[in-house]
Amino acid sequence: MTDKPVVLVANRGEIAMRIIAAARRIGASPVLAVSTADADSPAARAADRSIVIGAAPAGQSYLRPEQVAQAAVQAGASVVHPGYGFLSEQPKLCELLEEEGIAFAGPRPETLRAVGDKGSARQVAIEADVPVAAGIEIEDVDNVRHLGDEIGYPLLIKAIHGGGGRGIRLVHNGDELAALAPQAAAEAVAAFGNGALYIERYYGKARHVEVQVFGDGFGRAWIFGDRDCSVQRRHQKLIEECPAPNLSDKRRQILHDASRRLVKALNYRGAGTVEFLVDTESEDVLFLEVNARIQVEHPVTEEAFGVDLVAAQLRLALGLDPELPEVGPVPAATAIELRINAEDPNADFMPNAGVITALSWPRGPGIRIDTQIEEGYKFPAFYDSLMAKLIVRANTREAAVAAVLSAARNTHIEGLKTTLPMHEFVLTHPDFASGPVPTSWFGPVWEERKEFS
Amino acid sequence: MAEQPTWQDLLDLVAQLNESNFESASVSYGNISVQLSNSDAFMGQAAAPVTAPAASAPAAPPVAPAAAPGAVAEAPTAAPAKPVGETIDAPMIGTFYRRPAPGTPEFVQPGDRVEADTTIGIIEIMKLMNPIAAGKAGVIGEFLVSDAEPVEFGTPLATINTNA
Repeated sequence: MTDKPVVLVANRGEIAMRIIAAARRIGASPVLAVSTADADSPAARAADRSIVIGAAPAGQSYLRPEQVAQAAVQAGASVVHPGYGFLSEQPKLCELLEEEGIAFAGPRPETLRAVGDKGSARQVAIEADVPVAAGIEIEDVDNVRHLGDEIGYPLLIKAIHGGGGRGIRLVHNGDELAALAPQAAAEAVAAFGNGALYIERYYGKARHVEVQVFGDGFGRAWIFGDRDCSVQRRHQKLIEECPAPNLSDKRRQILHDASRRLVKALNYRGAGTVEFLVDTESEDVLFLEVNARIQVEHPVTEEAFGVDLVAAQLRLALGLDPELPEVGPVPAATAIELRINAEDPNADFMPNAGVITALSWPRGPGIRIDTQIEEGYKFPAFYDSLMAKLIVRANTREAAVAAVLSAARNTHIEGLKTTLPMHEFVLTHPDFASGPVPTSWFGPVWEERKEFS
Repeated sequence: MAEQPTWQDLLDLVAQLNESNFESASVSYGNISVQLSNSDAFMGQAAAPVTAPAASAPAAPPVAPAAAPGAVAEAPTAAPAKPVGETIDAPMIGTFYRRPAPGTPEFVQPGDRVEADTTIGIIEIMKLMNPIAAGKAGVIGEFLVSDAEPVEFGTPLATINTNA
């Protein structure tokens, strides 16, 4: 029939569309694993073929490694791309595929284990001489006060096996710590299957700056600059930009060199991100974690540097040269991404689902839309609320802010409430326009706004 | 721009459904959701019966910019050639086997009477063998997949007559 290699796309929504496009770019045939709810999705139609792996709930389909691996076998796949979230950082899927002789477009299982556990990731970082925040694992949730005294307040309780910004609590004093630690452990068991916690000093006015890395699995490292993802609500990113603005050459060097050391120490294979906290008050740069996958916000790096990271992941997994350039620390352009979610920003970001009755996107130089949605699409209630990513590139940050604001204003989506009004609010706010904001910025500023719709 | 569904809209929707090959349709008008189905199984579920024309449109719900009366119909519930009558569908993705092991007799044959817990085949996924029960009592019609054929979640495996 065809001797193109088959890529089994093990995800959904906008990232499934992205991987399908990258597969076509490299001359491969994309096959999509779907739940019943996605069997007739735009992504299913965009693929050469789709395979129904389970019922609508992610826990019965997208989160089942055996079902995804079986689909890969049935598709005759040479490689599986797991996207982000779901099974992208699960050693089990990677191992099942290795047994079948199918490549995984991501790191090796041992790397996933080494960095998937935040405690172990910190250890790897320390050994690679990467600066880390003072933090301690909680051995006994009922005996924590002395740990809090050691770290200092305010501090954060984090789930060691958490992710996606979940399982994090802010604590101001010993009483709160003693009361919240057992609760946080119970929540972590429910959300992640593991109640292990650690505590870390909290920096109130810090920026979230991350470095995009790519490794060939044998010690070679590419660094594709940095991103600032500090506009966040409850630890969920809303807006990302590349490069991180107002970063001194010295701090940029520290971040990039530390990331390079980590890639080499891990013999890191594939795309990844090293996350740091950049304290605006003390100039400290502190390692947070490694995200061993392609991330939602990868497009701003691709646009700013002119590279295709997803195609590179597929090429590498197929045993080919990833075809990535060596680039300098700062990109030629600036790119900003808005995550457009199916949430009502004026109703506490309540998610909604339903049919998209009208849809039109802005056009022009440097405008990129990553999405699966189309007019008439019934946005499902089963999965996350990300509808589309609007990415705009320009020569300077000022121009990029103006361009993405204009693009957002010229985006029309009807049938659902979206977070576009929130983006307009942020992009026109003098704090955002004048330079980077800390992660603590959005929450209070949004609460105090006049209704913006 | 916003529209509430009128009684005529709903009648048009029923007519469209009747004329089509679709088994069910689901439409949202702002906060109102309408679900229609040809299938008997549907009647056991949620939605209140549609009221008579004398009662006019549902009492003033908040109307958001809503679907035009063009219905959004759900796709046919099975793959292209949907067999007539009931089927036993694959509860998982994997390789379907008619027999317990190579060289042994098939579990059941067309024409066999089965109970809900009768094993009709095995689906193997990642080296794990899973016995597949009929799930309902009746007489096996025909098998729609062959021994050692890959199936997906929901693939019809065999027809069954539950009234026999």
